Amino acid sequence: MGKSQRAETSDTGQLVKASQAGDRGAFDELVLLYQRRAMKVAIWVLGDAEQAAEAVQEGFVKAYLSIGKLKEPKRFEIWLCRIVANAAIGQVRAAKRRAEKIKIVDHYRGKKTLSPVERQNAEDLKESIQQAMSKLSKKEAKAISLFGLEDLSHRQVAEIMGCSVKATRWHVFRARKKLKVLLREYLE
Amino acid sequence: MACISGKEEVEGIIERVPGMKDEQEKIDLLLARNANEQLKNVDWNKLNVAISHRLDKVRQSKTSTKRFPTVFKIVAEISAVAVVVVIAVMIKLEKPTNLQLDEGRTAMVEFVKRKGLATVALIEPSDRAHVKVYIAGKDKKLAQCYVKMIDSDRSRKEDSTQAAWIIISRSERVYADNGTKRDMMDMLCLF
Repeated sequence: MGKSQRAETSDTGQLVKASQAGDRGAFDELVLLYQRRAMKVAIWVLGDAEQAAEAVQEGFVKAYLSIGKLKEPKRFEIWLCRIVANAAIGQVRAAKRRAEKIKIVDHYRGKKTLSPVERQNAEDLKESIQQAMSKLSKKEAKAISLFGLEDLSHRQVAEIMGCSVKATRWHVFRARKKLKVLLREYLE
Repeated sequence: MACISGKEEVEGIIERVPGMKDEQEKIDLLLARNANEQLKNVDWNKLNVAISHRLDKVRQSKTSTKRFPTVFKIVAEISAVAVVVVIAVMIKLEKPTNLQLDEGRTAMVEFVKRKGLATVALIEPSDRAHVKVYIAGKDKKLAQCYVKMIDSDRSRKEDSTQAAWIIISRSERVYADNGTKRDMMDMLCLF
């Protein structure tokens, strides 16, 4: 842990304690400190910035409402990442349900054919990743998303996941295996 | 986790199988590419405003829910008191205990649990009369008493005439030490 990171952790601890004591300003500072981290987690899970923003807002509201339950203030970051990841996973599930509802309509509309050039388009990639992520289990989606965040160690990912490092790696392996099939067009 | 036994080999397998690691990396790169692309579009100020707005809403609703319980608590307390009063009045109507007489005196009730065990004989039926009361076989002669009759809304079974409360009370309160620590001198009976 570097000097700046340690300073940030101790600041976080104080801000969390102040928030727990009812200091609104302290929680607002926590939002400023961690909104980027939360957004990264949500984007990796959801693959879309707009949806991720929704999940991040939901995550911060949940964190605000339950901050009193956080026993170790220094572990706020891990705790927040878990909340945001769960909120994002919840959105993936909701989107999947919505998609299933309109599946029949799409069937009659005919399948959209895309040229290889179009496929390179970031928008298409985003949609494909979103669809692929919705096919993963909750744990697989969470694990692959958190593993992608370079600044999170495997141990931290495991802590957020609530399981061992080995188990987390297994979920990542499974997720990659599924994604390999689901995103094969982009991997060729 | 039980299902993970042996899965520690995963990393080793990835290393050993030719091309597998490359594919894994490709997937990771693909996901990273999309994530970075999406992060580029994020307006952090807008996001912060949106979060603050959501938090403000929650704080407002939290404050109003904090205020509401006080109001509900008061209403609940008033309702509870009202219910208790109503129940007390109903009980009082059923089993009169302390009855406020016109003069402001309280008539104590000799509560007879079993029907037919108490009789009251008005020796001199008047406002101020000698009364003889038989309760469970023991007769208790009372001294001069005030006798007050109040019509009730009940009918007697025997002759379907209207029943009446007879309040018998002494002018001076005398507390009889009969073990029950009750004032045996004032009585109220339904006939």
